Order: sequence, then structure tokens, then C-alpha cells
Amino acid sequence: MDKHPRTYEGKTEIKIEHPDMIICRCEEVTLAQIIEAISEGARTVDEVKRRTRAGMGLCQGRTCSRLVRHLLAQHTGQNFHQIPPMTARVPVRPIALEVLASLEDDTNG
Amino acid sequence: MAKKHAVIIGGGIIGASCAYYLAKSGLSVTLMDKGGLCTEASKASQGHLFLWELPPVNVILARESKKLYMQLIDELDVDLEFRPTGSMSIAETPESLVSLAQTCEQLQAIGVDCEVLDRATVLRREPNLSTHITGGASFPEDAQLNPLIVTIGLVEGARKWGATIRLNTEVIGIQIDNSQTIKAVETNNGTIQTDYVVNAAGAWSGMIADMANLHLPVMPRKGILMVLDQVPQDVMNCKIIMASGYLDSLKSGNKTAVAANIQQTRGGNVLLGSSRAFAGFDKVVNPEVISEMARRCLRFFPCLKGMQVIRSWAGLRPYSPDMIPIISDTKVKGFYVASGHEGVGITMAPITGLLISQLINNQTPLLPLEPLSINRFDPEISA
Ligand SMILES: Cc1cc2nc3c(=O)[nH]c(=O)nc-3n(C[C@H](O)[C@H](O)[C@H](O)COP(=O)(O)OP(=O)(O)OC[C@H]3O[C@@H](n4cnc5c(N)ncnc54)[C@H](O)[C@@H]3O)c2cc1C
Ligand code: FES
Repeated sequence: MDKHPRTYEGKTEIKIEHPDMIICRCEEVTLAQIIEAISEGARTVDEVKRRTRAGMGLCQGRTCSRLVRHLLAQHTGQNFHQIPPMTARVPVRPIALEVLASLEDDTNG
Repeated sequence: MAKKHAVIIGGGIIGASCAYYLAKSGLSVTLMDKGGLCTEASKASQGHLFLWELPPVNVILARESKKLYMQLIDELDVDLEFRPTGSMSIAETPESLVSLAQTCEQLQAIGVDCEVLDRATVLRREPNLSTHITGGASFPEDAQLNPLIVTIGLVEGARKWGATIRLNTEVIGIQIDNSQTIKAVETNNGTIQTDYVVNAAGAWSGMIADMANLHLPVMPRKGILMVLDQVPQDVMNCKIIMASGYLDSLKSGNKTAVAANIQQTRGGNVLLGSSRAFAGFDKVVNPEVISEMARRCLRFFPCLKGMQVIRSWAGLRPYSPDMIPIISDTKVKGFYVASGHEGVGITMAPITGLLISQLINNQTPLLPLEPLSINRFDPEISA
């Protein structure tokens, strides 16, 4: 899978070692599933979310959406910073009040 | 003589109440909505009967409305889930307690039952509140009910008195004859001739008024609500607990305002509000706003931190520039307005329907209607 160009400028580079690696812990979405979604045409975090549920879990994408952006950058050749973060973090699944209260405004990346 | 016919535009709680009181008074009534019944602000709301929103004219409307609710409990065939819960307003600083006490004095002068409480009393009544609070006030006349059931109950009541309900029927034009009298209402499902029209289209009522060449400065004011999982009823003894800053948040202007407004329903779920913003007709739930609402709530009730937020949604309050509703006849004969209830439309629904019915039937109104007239926004008349 290393044939994809690495023109993105993200801070973390995800070593793609194991397709079963869990990217979204809350929804148990694997790396292979995310890459499949991208190869099917997903180009934004929201599109990946709709196809795989990554980002819909208890933490509402706090843990995984950054990783998904990196993967999108890596696999589509886009610049990391041009990939918008997840839009609505409305609880689509239950989320603890405490977690919601601790959300910071990280819309800049 | 044939019965006079009234078309009511808007199947929210206000249109439902107008339909009920008009049908009961003997008119032939058609209630129409572009969508379903109770799908907009009325569905998005909490069910707080808020008896002390200033200015005084609102307090009087709310008081008469609550009396009508007590009658509706017997009149309607459904259980409105009415509970005489009372409400409590909580101050977090010495200054806000002083200002809350001043508000109470003003309210007592117009007959509102309320009592300022010191910190110890508040914490004795509500042991789960955070101890940083400085005091509060109680409003024993406030109450709670289920706005969805009220709306449906009123519509079913209207139907019993012969009203016709037309859903998925969007009003697209109003026909007026040369003598400035209502002729007909045009919809996507055809045109209906009518003697009277009641504009109860909530946040959209300004657009309906435009169709009749009338100026009605009602604007959508977005409010977001979250619902939490069920918690035991003894977590909150008083079922409606608001930050003392709530009244200030009503005057927030263009900024997004958030003030904790925490309610527990009969089923045990906690409803968490409230926010106010002018954002056009947009109903997106903004993550930063619900996050702030969550922080405010936890500031009052730290024990709720592990609770799950199940859902959140936004509704559009029909905002009137002076925060007083418009319950009025107009320059167009036969065209009436029942709108602009902002954050108290659930509270004021029954009195609004009754006053509209009294206006249309030329009966002496229960309350003076001048302060509620659309004329206050007409520079030619109000000057
Ligand atoms: C978050 C929130 C919490 C609230 N909490 C409370 C509370 O605790 N207590 C309280 O008293 N009030 C509360 N309110 C305020 C209350 O919900 C509103 O004041 C009230 O619902 C307004 O009712 P309405 O019937 O005028 O508007 P709506 O319920 O919005 O109904 C208007 C209807 O008109 C229809 N319509 C629009 N245009 C057309 C057209 N062209 N043709 C046909 N139909 C049309 C719409 O589809 C809609 O159904 C709250 C509001 C919000 C948003
Ligand atoms: S890790 Fe994906 S939603 Fe929590």
C-alpha cells in the first residue's frame, strides 16, 4: 500500500502496517475499511464517516477524525490542511455530558 | 346563513390553539401547515410554563394562559402531562443575587408569587447543586407540560368541533380585494376562499404577512436543546432550574447567548437548554454551543457528568423586536396575526387562541389588545 504518493504535510505519518489496525476505537473501524472508503471515492472526513461510521462513536471523532484526515491526505495526495475537519459534532450516538463539555474548538486543525 | 370560514396558517401550538378556540366558537375552520403538525418550534421546545417573563404585559398573558390550561386539562381528551413543579432561578455571584432580588421585587409588585432564597436554603432544597452558588429565587406558580401532546390535543379538539386539517399544504399567496378585504388563500394544493385568515406561521409569519403587503418584523431566533438519559427523580427536587442570567440572555442582541436551563421531564429525562442566536432559518446544531451548554449544566450539577446526551436539535423561535407577542387584527380586513411569542409560545398558546377568537367574533377581549397590536411596528400609525 506504499505506492500512494506522500505529498501531504501532516504532522503524523501513519505507518500502514496492519490493515486490521483500529483507527476509530469507538466504532471499531479498521484501517482497511477507511482505505476502502477512500478508494470508493470518499474525499472528506464526513464522507468517510458516512461510509464507515468512523467518527460517530462516543468520543464523536475526537480520537479518530485527525487520523482519518491524515489518511485522506496520504491516499488522495491532498494537502492535510486543505481537508476540512469533521463538520457537525452533534451527538448522533450518545455521548457523555462530560466529554461534550470538554470539546475544544479545534476547527483549525 | 352559512358559517363564516377561517383559514389558520401554521400547525404549531399557536395555530392549534387558534383552531381550537375558533372552531369551538362556531366558525368553520381549516388549519394548514406546509409540513406536519407540531414539527417546528413547538416540537423543539421545552414545556416550561414560564409565568414571570417581563415586561409586565407578558406576565399577565402568561397568568391568564395558565388559567386556561387548567380548563384545557379537563376539556381535552389527552393527558397534557401537566405538573405544578414550580421553578428555581440560581445565582452564582453576589451581584447576580442582588439583581435577582431586584427582579423579584418588581415581579411581586405585579402579583407574581416568588421568594428570594439564601444559599443555605437553596442547597437544602437541592443538595446536588454545586456549592459555589450564592443563592436563588423560587417561582412556585411555574409548571411543566408536554408541548407536543398539547398541540395534538388542541388539534384533535378542533377536529371535534368540525375543523378540517390540511397538512403538506404550503401557503404561497394571499388574495385581497379592492376594499382591502381577505378573499382567498393560495396554496400548493389549490386556492381556498375564506372570510378570515390567521397568520400563525411562527418564525415564517413575516413572509406570510408580506403576501398580504403587511410589515411584520418577526425573525427566527435559533435555540438548541439537548436531551439526556433518564436520571432518578431525586437528582433535582425542583424540576425546572435556570441560571439567574436567563433573563439577560433574552436581550443578547446579535451574540450567541447561552444560559443554563435544566428541566427534568415526567419520564426522568433531563432537557438541557438554552441558547439564543440569530442565524436566519438555519437549524444546524453548533458543536461549540452544545459544548458550552454542557459546561454550564455541569457547573450547576457536577453529578450529571457521566450522563449520556442522547440527542440534540434546534428550533426557531418567532422573535418579536420588543419581546411581546403580536395578537392583532390588521389593515387588511379579515387578516389576523398570532405570532412573535419567542421563548414563551408554549406558555401563551391558550390565551392567544382565545384572544384571536374574541377578536374575530367581535367579543370584548379578556385583556386589552393595544400592547399586542401590529400597529406598534407601523411608523404611520404609531407616530
Ligand atoms: C429550544 C426551545 C425551547 C423552548 N422552550 C419553551 C418553553 O419551555 N416554554 C415556552 O413557553 N416556550 C418555549 N419555547 C418557545 C416556543 O417553542 C415557541 O414560542 C412556540 O413553539 C411558537 O409556536 P408557533 O406555533 O408560533 O410556531 P411553530 O411551532 O414554529 O409553528 C409554525 C408553523 O408554521 C408553518 N408554516 C410556516 N410557513 C408556512 C407556509 N407558508 N404555509 C403553511 N405553513 C407554514 C411551519 O411549518 C410551522 O409548523 C422554546 C423554543 C425553543 C426553540
Ligand atoms: S474514535 Fe472514532 S468516534 Fe471515537
